[in-house]
Amino acid sequence: MLKDFLEGKPLRHPLHPFLVHFPIGLFILSLLLDLASLGFPSVPNLVRDAFYAMLLGIITALIAAVPGLVDYTDIRSDHPGKRTATTHLTLNLVVVGLYGINLGVRSSTLDQLKTPVAPLVLSLVGIALLSVSGYLGGRLVYDEGTSVGRHKRRTPTPEDTLHLAVELGEDKRADTIVVPIPEAESLGEKETLRVQIDGQVIAIAKLAGNFYAFQEFCTHRFGPLSEGSVQDFNVQCPWHSSCFDVRTGKVTQGPAKVDLKTFKMERRDGKICIDVPRAKSRDPHDQET
Amino acid sequence: MKWLLNFLKGKWLKHPLHPIIVHVPMAMWPSALIFDLLSRWNGNVMVRLSFYAIIFGLVASLLAVPSGLVDWSDVKKEKPAWKIGLYHMILNLVVALLFAINLGLRIHTFREAIIVAGAPLALSIIGTVLLIGSAYLGGLMVYDYGISVGRMSKKKWRGIAKAGGANLPAE
Repeated sequence: MLKDFLEGKPLRHPLHPFLVHFPIGLFILSLLLDLASLGFPSVPNLVRDAFYAMLLGIITALIAAVPGLVDYTDIRSDHPGKRTATTHLTLNLVVVGLYGINLGVRSSTLDQLKTPVAPLVLSLVGIALLSVSGYLGGRLVYDEGTSVGRHKRRTPTPEDTLHLAVELGEDKRADTIVVPIPEAESLGEKETLRVQIDGQVIAIAKLAGNFYAFQEFCTHRFGPLSEGSVQDFNVQCPWHSSCFDVRTGKVTQGPAKVDLKTFKMERRDGKICIDVPRAKSRDPHDQET
Repeated sequence: MKWLLNFLKGKWLKHPLHPIIVHVPMAMWPSALIFDLLSRWNGNVMVRLSFYAIIFGLVASLLAVPSGLVDWSDVKKEKPAWKIGLYHMILNLVVALLFAINLGLRIHTFREAIIVAGAPLALSIIGTVLLIGSAYLGGLMVYDYGISVGRMSKKKWRGIAKAGGANLPAE
């Protein structure tokens, strides 16, 4: 409940990217006022104004850090954006630390007409690091799709990709392999797994007690369907809301135009299994070599 | 002209430009309201700080407008996000105008005043409320409708999806 609130789910909008506008804007304002104090030392209170802008920036940065941390924990641990997120988080902690020092250093010189060199340098370094960190945060949204459409999902998303080893049966040249997925037993209704078998990345969803397997990547801009929401035999991509029938893979709502690849799920010897075509039989070029 | 479009869309950054620029007015104008209120305790220091915040927000919004327009022009008219974008734009123009008037009301007094007068304070309150509403609509376009999401990373994700054995659309 608290996690849903901090992720902004009731708002349909994450909180962290909203709150960070304040420290970013205020730290830049603070630096501009520092520079103005050097150019126009006759204007009163510029040094004080830079101090107060920074103070409000630090307060809002600390508030923004809370939902930011929650968002961070929600990124799948093997997601390509996880490293970017770790760098973003680390840089932000460094920036806030630097501004804390900066505020302390300048607190004793508020009566001066020009901002002294030491806090000015700290502000320049702070803005440089903050620009990089803010840019990485933006890339997390626009490149990696972090928290895009997350509020549409009511169930938890996979924390990891299951890498399932391929065990060949008696017929080593078989075109399909049957892989048991014991983890599917503990899956709740409308929950998903993300599995990788023989190079293929597959989402498995439980709907009305049955299991359905389909390709992980949406055919529009390749959003993660294991993080989509499932309802009425449809999976909806979190990014641009394309819908597919989980039974057939057919597109039921655009923007996607191409159907999903689906995989057969069945029970064998009481185990939940997936039938996956061998990677070698997928691509004719590979077969030749 | 093409280079200007690419600049405004943020292609050179691999990141849309509009959501970066808008950090400034989005931070400055609500902060100006906070500084207006703080002027009751901290006098002219806050009156001036609020004034500077409003100016900085207005300057940045000059770049926010064209970069937002080119992003909006990429949204198809039949999509629900197009209408949200329209409301977002109209509200933003109103907000920018309100803060421009706000600035005009205080430009002759901010050097000496120790408190922000009623009229500019009221404009700061109305402007901030409308701005938060408008910014929320802008955020919905991204987080609810996926505008600009995956636009510049299509090639990368296509490669990942291909390696993962997915059906792909024609290039």
